[in-house]
Amino acid sequence: MRLLLVEDDPMIGESVLDLLRAEHYAVDWVRDGEAADTALRTQRYDLVLLDLGLPRRDGLAVLRDLRARRDRVPVLVATARDALAQRVQGLDAGADDYVLKPYEMDELLARIRALLRRAAGRAEPVYEHLGVSIDPATREVLVQGKPVVLSAREWAVLEALLARPGMVLSRAQLEEKLYDWQHEISSNAVEVYIHGLRKKLGADLIRNVRGVGYMVPRQ
Amino acid sequence: MTSPVAMFRFSSLRARLLVFVLLAILATALLQAGLAWRAARAEADALFDRQMAQTAQSLRAALPQGLATGVLPLPAEEQDFDFVLQIWALDGTLLFQSAQRAELPARAIIGFSEVTANGATYRVYSMLARGLVIQVAQDMAVRRRLAGSLALRTAAPVLWLAPLLMLVVGWVVRRSLRPVDQVREQLAQRHAEDLAPVADAGLPDELRPLVQAFNALLQRLAGSFEAQQRFVADAAHELRSPLAALKLQVQGLQRAPDAASRERALERLGAGIDRATRLIGQLLVLARQQALQTGGSPAEALELAGLARQAVAEAAALAQARGTDLGLVEAAPGLVDTHPEALRMLLRNLLENAVKYTPPGGRVDVSVRPDPTASGAALVLAVEDSGPGIPEAERRRVLDRFYRSPDAPAGGSGLGLAIAQSVAELHGTSLLLDASPDLGGLRVRLVLPLHR
Repeated sequence: MRLLLVEDDPMIGESVLDLLRAEHYAVDWVRDGEAADTALRTQRYDLVLLDLGLPRRDGLAVLRDLRARRDRVPVLVATARDALAQRVQGLDAGADDYVLKPYEMDELLARIRALLRRAAGRAEPVYEHLGVSIDPATREVLVQGKPVVLSAREWAVLEALLARPGMVLSRAQLEEKLYDWQHEISSNAVEVYIHGLRKKLGADLIRNVRGVGYMVPRQ
Repeated sequence: MTSPVAMFRFSSLRARLLVFVLLAILATALLQAGLAWRAARAEADALFDRQMAQTAQSLRAALPQGLATGVLPLPAEEQDFDFVLQIWALDGTLLFQSAQRAELPARAIIGFSEVTANGATYRVYSMLARGLVIQVAQDMAVRRRLAGSLALRTAAPVLWLAPLLMLVVGWVVRRSLRPVDQVREQLAQRHAEDLAPVADAGLPDELRPLVQAFNALLQRLAGSFEAQQRFVADAAHELRSPLAALKLQVQGLQRAPDAASRERALERLGAGIDRATRLIGQLLVLARQQALQTGGSPAEALELAGLARQAVAEAAALAQARGTDLGLVEAAPGLVDTHPEALRMLLRNLLENAVKYTPPGGRVDVSVRPDPTASGAALVLAVEDSGPGIPEAERRRVLDRFYRSPDAPAGGSGLGLAIAQSVAELHGTSLLLDASPDLGGLRVRLVLPLHR
């Protein structure tokens, strides 16, 4: 899953970035409103973590623009602006959730998971599909009830594919979810992870659609 | 018992008005009575004198020829007349005396005169006629009584009216003072935070300036109240970011999987604590600064160049660590009225800012020069650097509390220049920000008048 972190405070930014990456999210970090605008126009994200008091362009303006473009990416506002009116304003501008600084990292992560779950069109916290169940909170994967150990990247690929069964994801789309700006992408990395997953979960789960990409079948 | 003096010291306008109006009414009534008495006396005198003269005339006309001696019979109606009548022969024999014996002395001044007899004063009219002296006399007490009753009758209505007048005056006074009550009620119903102006519509001219002055005070109060609230809100907001950072840094430390990342997390935590400490320190400085501004401690006359030299010496270590060339380029002599602690704080903040914003290898100049515009009556303290400067549009905002330029290096509190500005305001002046003509970066100047 690829996240955009919009945060002007370098100390907060550094810490959140590290903590999110430790959770195997691919995270890009921008420090002002204009950079956030640019990133959101050029890259697809699964979730945006948005501070409101930003230099150059206010977070609310960035958010309003985003929604005006009919971009439905989930937005979690994390800010020190605590007045009720401001929280209401933030949600009305198109935010999906609101956390107040200072926040607990565990809470932030749980809210991120909840938003990602909702964005994938499901409410139940554990995905179960074709005998494979994954729990994003604990990163447990069970195949026919037996635990399987996946690497972080393999996990990310599987989560992306299981999030929308029946939807084909191209190699580039999968790469986007795996790597943020800081990491170089090796040319056949995705194939390597798919191969690993097939070995651990069974060859039938992930199908190759030639010339297009990969998918998990609906049935 | 309240003495009359104490009565005039009534603090109530209403009571004072009532008392003075009552006294004025009484004085008027007395004056009127006195004048009426005098006028009545004068009229009575003229009237009775004429009557006395007529009586004497008519007596003369009625006198029988060749009046000898004896008591003349007089018509009954003249008996109870309050005149005393006497008729003398020229040789002094009393020929006639009316029943009312006044026993007037037996001497006659022809015409009107006043005579005292039997403990009473008489007005006497004497007349010579056919060898006889006719005297008509009247007790003055009668006249006084008459004048007195006339005077009383004139003054009585005023005295009777006095209570009614008091009521009317009381009503008018109460009515006139109603706006005062209205203002009082308006103020009594207020909440402590309600600093909206008091309505002055319909107030009398005497009251309006007072209410307007009061409103002006309220407005100033509201201004400082608002500034205070904004400061508290800003401070609460600004304290949250370093706290959020600290919290995340602690969580990062807890989750660190290996020694290297634990080391890194500890380092970050240390930096976060330094930052929070610095911010709180600056907030305290600013609060103290504002207390000083409102407290108004006296200024001292000090050599400005000395303060500048000291500040440059203090900042030298920081400048050297960053490879910045910091120096005092001119030190014009002269005493200025200053709050030394505050001015040292201002210099420290300006120098730290200049060093921080100037890239390593840059230059920071401090100077104290005579003011070229104010005919040498002031000194200009300037701190200029070779850094990126501040765009003109931002120059006003950087003096605001908590404002941070988007290009500012991390970790600043956004309070340094705000503190410096508040010190400048304490000295009755303001910071001037522009581009340094010599170094190209920011120039901050402070103009301080010379001590007299």
